[in-house]
Amino acid sequence: MPKLIIDDIPVEVAPGTSVLEAARSVGITIPHFCYHPALAIAAACRLCAVKLLDGPVKGIQMSCALPAQDGMVVSTTDPEALKMRSLVIEWLMLNHPHDCPVCDEGGECLLQDFTIAGGHSHRRYQGKKRTFQNQYLGEGIQHEMNRCIECYRCARFYQDYAGGTDFGVMGSAGRVYFGRFQEGPLESPFSGNLVDICPTGVFTDKTGRFRARYWDYQFAPSICQHCSVGCNTSPQNFQRETIKIVGRRNDQVNGWFICDRARFDKGYLNDPQRPREPRLDGATCGDDVAVDAAAKSIAEFVRKNGADSLALVGSPRLSLEGMVLLAQLARAAGGARLCYFGDPAQQQGSVAAARLLREENSAYVRDIEQAQWIALHALDLIEEAPMLALSVRKAFLAGAQIFLVDGDPIPARNTPPFKYTAVESLDQVPFEKGGKGVIICGAGKKDPDLLAQIASCGAKLVMLQPGANGFAAGLLAQEHAASPLADLVAARQVRGVVCFEADVPEGLLSGLEVLASADWRRGPVEAKSPIFIPTTTWVESDGTAINYEGRAQRFQRSRLAGLPLKGLDPKYYGNATEAVTLHPPRVHREEVPGGAERDAWQVMAQLIARLGGEPVVEPLEGKWSALRSLDPEGEGIRIFEIVAGE
Amino acid sequence: MIPETLKTSLKARVASALTPREAAVDVMKELQAHYGWLTDEAVEEAAALLGLSPLQVEELATFYEMIYRRPVGKKVIHVCDSISCWCADCDKIIQHLKDKLGVGLGGTTADGMFTLIPCCCMGMCGDSPAMSVGGVPYGKLTPELVDEILEMERNNR
Amino acid sequence: MELPLFRHNRPNRVVTFDEYREEGGFEALKKAFSGMSPNDVQQAVMDSGLRGRGGAGFSTGRKWSFVPRDLPGPRWLICNCDEMEPGTYKDRVLLEHNPYSLIEGMTLACYALGVRHAFIFIRKGYEKAAANLARGIEEAKKAGLLGEHILGSEHSIDLDLHLSAGRYICGEETALINALEGKRPNPRSKPPFPAVKGLWQGPTVVNNVETLANVPAIVANGAPWFKGLALNPEGAGSKLFCVSGSVKNRACVELPIGTTLGDIIDGACGGMRDGRKFKACIPGGASTQFLKPEHWTLPMDYETVAKAGSRLGSGGVIVFDEGHCLVEATLNLITFFARESCGWCTPCREGLPYVKEILTRIENGRGEEDDITILREHVKYLNYTFCALAPGAMAPLDGLLRDFEDEVREHITKKKCPFKG
Repeated sequence: MPKLIIDDIPVEVAPGTSVLEAARSVGITIPHFCYHPALAIAAACRLCAVKLLDGPVKGIQMSCALPAQDGMVVSTTDPEALKMRSLVIEWLMLNHPHDCPVCDEGGECLLQDFTIAGGHSHRRYQGKKRTFQNQYLGEGIQHEMNRCIECYRCARFYQDYAGGTDFGVMGSAGRVYFGRFQEGPLESPFSGNLVDICPTGVFTDKTGRFRARYWDYQFAPSICQHCSVGCNTSPQNFQRETIKIVGRRNDQVNGWFICDRARFDKGYLNDPQRPREPRLDGATCGDDVAVDAAAKSIAEFVRKNGADSLALVGSPRLSLEGMVLLAQLARAAGGARLCYFGDPAQQQGSVAAARLLREENSAYVRDIEQAQWIALHALDLIEEAPMLALSVRKAFLAGAQIFLVDGDPIPARNTPPFKYTAVESLDQVPFEKGGKGVIICGAGKKDPDLLAQIASCGAKLVMLQPGANGFAAGLLAQEHAASPLADLVAARQVRGVVCFEADVPEGLLSGLEVLASADWRRGPVEAKSPIFIPTTTWVESDGTAINYEGRAQRFQRSRLAGLPLKGLDPKYYGNATEAVTLHPPRVHREEVPGGAERDAWQVMAQLIARLGGEPVVEPLEGKWSALRSLDPEGEGIRIFEIVAGE
Repeated sequence: MIPETLKTSLKARVASALTPREAAVDVMKELQAHYGWLTDEAVEEAAALLGLSPLQVEELATFYEMIYRRPVGKKVIHVCDSISCWCADCDKIIQHLKDKLGVGLGGTTADGMFTLIPCCCMGMCGDSPAMSVGGVPYGKLTPELVDEILEMERNNR
Repeated sequence: MELPLFRHNRPNRVVTFDEYREEGGFEALKKAFSGMSPNDVQQAVMDSGLRGRGGAGFSTGRKWSFVPRDLPGPRWLICNCDEMEPGTYKDRVLLEHNPYSLIEGMTLACYALGVRHAFIFIRKGYEKAAANLARGIEEAKKAGLLGEHILGSEHSIDLDLHLSAGRYICGEETALINALEGKRPNPRSKPPFPAVKGLWQGPTVVNNVETLANVPAIVANGAPWFKGLALNPEGAGSKLFCVSGSVKNRACVELPIGTTLGDIIDGACGGMRDGRKFKACIPGGASTQFLKPEHWTLPMDYETVAKAGSRLGSGGVIVFDEGHCLVEATLNLITFFARESCGWCTPCREGLPYVKEILTRIENGRGEEDDITILREHVKYLNYTFCALAPGAMAPLDGLLRDFEDEVREHITKKKCPFKG
């Protein structure tokens, strides 16, 4: 373990740690642009200069590229180091436009921060600034090449890290240009990360342009709900609208990055058509009225038809809290039936995966990255778990063999960033050689026998769940012997349903009475439901999700529920002419317009109380209470011990 | 579209390389010789031959001085403006070329014959000032000699 | 004593394969293959004191010794013929007269280093040299001196040409490796050094044309002979000096290491042209500092020139006379370097155009007192770049400010270039 001294502070770090990281470990941020922990060292920007006063290396050195060694005496404040850093800033500012007021990066710009920190303020250069033509890069990303400081982060991420081939660096000297061969949408499903990784405003999120500054945003640690990987995100909200979603680091899940679906697919959160008001028989009503009516309807239905002809239907969209309370609500309703899935095939796959995976065989991300072979079993990885494709790519670059077993041809748009060999069966994958192997498959709709066979191979396993919280749904379905709704309907065992964030196809609904439903989006259930209670989406709620590997992660409310201010219905204004887009109503009101939504589990808790069940103070009871203290900014915890300890 | 014979020979060149990428510069130069400059179409053809994306070919094409990504005249005049030629008053030769051809640096003559581009040291410092016309090197230039060379090169298509 | 490099040269034409052999060509190869181990060859080069002739002047034997002996997988030798250093044309002259010394030298180097496949990386514009080499390689192959089972031995060595498309930075050895691999020719970070991880991640030696062309004579005649060629006791071998600028006969000449600057100019080049007076010269290509009249008797060797504050560099001697404005000359050099920066690191990409802007103003009579301060800052801090291009670019600027500050100041105070009417 090298021991060195940085600015008079003794530091001991793991071998191979750079001086830059060693300094960071004791709270010293050495300014840097090209350095990014996820990317290979470039040592291109030359901003992280420090001076080595003593030890094996001396003089000005780039701290990102210098491994910490015993006996080094490092100064980050030596006049020569300071001068170098201020010159680097001066060099970069020779050409960087002074357009911060109209730049979306303003306020969250590394170049702004380090320009101030670098001490360069007075322009001495008398030449002109060079300019470039921008390119159209699609609907996600705005290109502003004049702002470029040529740190090469974008090209290094796009090609080296993410395996994209349609974006890179052209030209040489002061003519280097970062873009595409010809204008057009970026092809990589990870292109949005250019926004996060660019230290200045060359790439900004086009979907959230000119809306707000960094300090205006409300944000909180969140978990993406698009697939079962559970990438960590940070939604940035302004006036009850999710303006941008950015990646949040979690080395156990997504590293630093997120896929474009996680970043850009957010329209539904802000959709003005989202059902916002509680409703009774087609008319808007108060929240209590709707909950009372729902409780009454459940009680009456149970009295008339017996509790076992009623099903409480949830889905993998629910948070763990909602899933746990759904079971309690079923008890409070006198023993109603429970559904976490509609489709039997999905349920049996999901349940089988939740049963088969254990601490020993459930692959960590690093198991994928360090694997010697990886089998993708009948899987379009970019479709089902895009971020894992980057983990597989790491293994591939390190020499792993990748196989696509029994898979349909992968559509061109989903070509993964690694080469693979298509084989017909798992027998053709070289297990015998032993070594570190990982099998990745989708659990939903897979035959449990097949999953069991896959699990018996001895490889580490990734079984992707249908839905963001599918693992939890599988666990709870197993625990409560829940049946898929389709089975119950087919067996004519239920006649009525109460749905919570459940997508029941119209075909199934036709023979059922929908007593009440709660959801944050519209659909056939909501349309048919006489009583409707709006719920919050994941951006507006606190909750827990369990990802494909059995990792429980906490997400936090990042904004208040309610209609976005932008484009608010004129009814919220004093008069119609005042209803100017983007301006809040000038009439004072106490409630948030459209802010009646509550987390689904809270709705369930109210119903439990109304039905005479035990009042719910905290949804995570019993074995789940271990998850109450889950840190939303932590790495999450794998739940196998919790489940086993029951 | 490139002729089949050229395509076949380029494929053979790529196949003989230790990795396809190693042949990238050769392929670009051959295609440039065919088209006169490396057209967008040529970039895409090179990409297909090399198993790269057009962008990846463009990354290389735009780096090198002697790969032209814009239309040029039939013959490109590279006139050296580095130090040894400067000592030999290349400024006078460059000015003479500009006047004679009626173009600025980077310009192409109206008849599409010549494009005038300044270039880095050609390794002809012993014979400075120097230039090359369509790849043929000429040294010890004087305005009179330049006139003769232009006349000869113009006729010797 | 007969100097090794130009001794086969014919005026105005390339030596033929037969002529080269008749004059003892490929004897070194035969000697090595019949009685010397690879180690012996390496040791001979080490003992000879041969230093890299491309500009850096690093000991060739030591460079070879950095290649790990026991690493599995292929290893590579690359001849750097990307001769784009302004004022340097020695490799072209050598190869246009004789490709065989290089071919033989590379074959010997491959033998010494255990290399199966070597490349010659040739700059754009050297098509004639490339054609000579291509023909020479075929001739050597036919004669069993190259290719499969050289001289009937178990050793097989292939030599391939890689023709570049013009960029100075390709001459930087790690950039050259990237270029050869078909990647953008940005330099790579060191460590790892090419000797450990170079071409396609294998151990790689990159040597200049002149360096490798010296190897046959060293193997044939032994290290002491090679050392004895130099005029100064510390030196070794001969050096190709390619002279340009204000001399009577601008020529590329082979002279013993240790020949004085005055002997190069007066002796080999017939003195200054048109009776002009020597003002200064750049001794080793564009990225070296000025030598002045006081250095007329300086023996030209690596250490001696370094002691005089410059570098022997590539041997590209650019001679300036009293009529030359060195501000403008330096501006010309900086313009070259700014244009040839690869664009990877900030100081080089942005700092060189900055320097160019300032020198342009000074030359045009719009210089300011502060400009000298800014220039000095660049001289110092452009040393902290990713590769040696910008530090090289700063060498003449450093020399200008050190030796000709008055001339710079005169531009500023008179608000015009004193050399222009």
